[in-house]
Amino acid sequence: MKKIELLSPAGDLERLKVTLLYGADAVYIGGEKYGLRANATNFSLEQIKEGCQFAHNLGKKVYLTLNIVFHNEDMEGVEEYISSVVDCGIDAFIVSDPFIISYIKSHFPQVEVHLSTQDSTTNYKAVEYFKKEGVDRVVLAREVSLDEMKEIIDKTGIDIEVFIHGAMCTCYSGRCALSNYVTNRDANRGGCAQVCRFSFAVDGKKDFTFATKDNNLARYIGKLIDIHVTSLKVEGRMRSLYYLATVIGTYREIIDCYYAGTLTEDKLKVFEERLARVANRDVSTHYLLKEADASDQYYTGRNEASNQDYLGQVISYDKESKLVKFYERNYFEVGDMVELFTPQGDRVSFMVDKLYDQDMNEVEVARHPDNVYYLSLDTDISIVTYSMIRLLSSRR
Amino acid sequence: MKVLVEVASKNIENYVDKCDALLLGIHKFSVMNMVSFTVDEIKDIVLKYPQLEIFVKMDKNLFNEEIDEVRKCLTELNDIPIRGVFFYDLALLELKHELSLSFDLVWSQTHMVTNYRTCDYYYQKGVSYALLSKEITLDEIVEISRKSSVQTIVEVVSLPSVGFSRRKLVHNYYEYYQEQGTSSLTVLEKVTNKKYLVKEEEAGTGFLLDEVLNGTSVISSLYQAGVDYVLFREEGIPAFLELISDTKNYISLGCRDTSYVEKYKKLGDSTGFFFKKTIYRVKK
Repeated sequence: MKKIELLSPAGDLERLKVTLLYGADAVYIGGEKYGLRANATNFSLEQIKEGCQFAHNLGKKVYLTLNIVFHNEDMEGVEEYISSVVDCGIDAFIVSDPFIISYIKSHFPQVEVHLSTQDSTTNYKAVEYFKKEGVDRVVLAREVSLDEMKEIIDKTGIDIEVFIHGAMCTCYSGRCALSNYVTNRDANRGGCAQVCRFSFAVDGKKDFTFATKDNNLARYIGKLIDIHVTSLKVEGRMRSLYYLATVIGTYREIIDCYYAGTLTEDKLKVFEERLARVANRDVSTHYLLKEADASDQYYTGRNEASNQDYLGQVISYDKESKLVKFYERNYFEVGDMVELFTPQGDRVSFMVDKLYDQDMNEVEVARHPDNVYYLSLDTDISIVTYSMIRLLSSRR
Repeated sequence: MKVLVEVASKNIENYVDKCDALLLGIHKFSVMNMVSFTVDEIKDIVLKYPQLEIFVKMDKNLFNEEIDEVRKCLTELNDIPIRGVFFYDLALLELKHELSLSFDLVWSQTHMVTNYRTCDYYYQKGVSYALLSKEITLDEIVEISRKSSVQTIVEVVSLPSVGFSRRKLVHNYYEYYQEQGTSSLTVLEKVTNKKYLVKEEEAGTGFLLDEVLNGTSVISSLYQAGVDYVLFREEGIPAFLELISDTKNYISLGCRDTSYVEKYKKLGDSTGFFFKKTIYRVKK
């Protein structure tokens, strides 16, 4: 049986590399045109090419979002752009517009087309339509339940991709222009202002909000594997390196443990705790097992918390001096309990004993983000570039 | 150019001679209707008013368990000489092919009908009409009308639909605050100071801008561009029957009577996106 794919977002080339190193099987990225995150960093053609080469050397894949709702003017140049991206070595396009689907399939049959969730595909009959159009994979609407996913897979035999983690839309994807009307930013061309997270006034009553909690299906990965879902997708092309390392690394472990038959309840709790530490909203399973209800939403406006767990990004480790060189990300100090984790899934917990600035002066605190620091650590695990340091508990 | 009306009343007699075509929501499979009709009711209307073109609105997002019933419904509709079915879900197009249905389809994906090439894609798939999105400009509409083979429909007067969720948002709101309430709310967006109607129904919750889209002033441009239908949605529009009757006369006289445009300035000055282009990049 083919192992399920773990699909990660990547907002730029560095995040592409890091998330693949942390266990993603494939990444989806946005180009400088035609993607639904117009305000993300996004990839130039040269960066797409480099990203594809990096991924392919690891036996992994890169998909490009081409999923805006095209206006007349957007059609100008799109064919040349598609051709250029194909030349970069892209493995699949993620598309919502059926004209673009047919264009790609007729001109570049070697490249896969994945139907974007922007089409809000919710039933097997619509999937049958797109299968006949040559679509290789369908990213189902987030409104579809586990049982409905199974029926779609059983009846169509097509590859199905499911969102497992990250932010949710309140409305059906593609069926919302609140952003257009409230802010003039085009929701379906990459400008969504997330108006569903605004607070609206109601005469004589408490404010009306309809923001959704985030999606987290960590506990149901086994069930998704069992019904033969092809790909598990994490949302968030604008998320940080640390977020990707943590979330992708954790789902990698969940998937691998499930296949190995070692995914215990105790392990699952540890994984969920790890995911919770990088979350900035509460989470829910939304439509997976039931109709979404009041417990899946917020009613008090934006509820977003930031945390300062992410302490440092490792540059290198010197085995002789037993010093970890890293870029500081958040304040910490000698005496704090921290954890260092690596792309290979190794992790070591320890109390910060000695801390040095970039000139090797011993210091008590690291308080300058982006500055280089060193800390002492005696360990046998293989610490490589892009290992991360996170806070477990502060002595403060 | 014809006048197409989405009705808010079952008294069809009121609309006869005042428009050319009706859009009727159908039970279970259409959303955000003031009224909806059974297949039998639609059949009666088609037979009783042969002078009216009848379109049926089936614009719900469909789920697996509904497909068999949709198939049955489409088969029944196929025995009635309706003009076409407005669809959102691609299952409808697949079923039209599978069942070899004879009526036409209208591509009606709310905010996604935005360019001439995709209109032509659907035309080649046997879809004869497209209801263009309200979020594109008049220039874009004219270009689509001129370059596409599909028959174009443009919504000109309505309370614009701006979003639809599967969630029971109003019910959930009252449940959370443990209050009694109805299935709808009027809410105020605080920055723009504009109101929205939030309406919950069996299929989910819809949002309407509580401000009349007044496209009466662009009808002459649409006429000249060869647009095939102008759509008027009745919900929330004052003196609606007089409006559509006047519009039918205005069009029949070649859209030259400037007093029509003057008269309907009273509907307000919101022209939606006819003259306003959306943006989507907010930083370099």
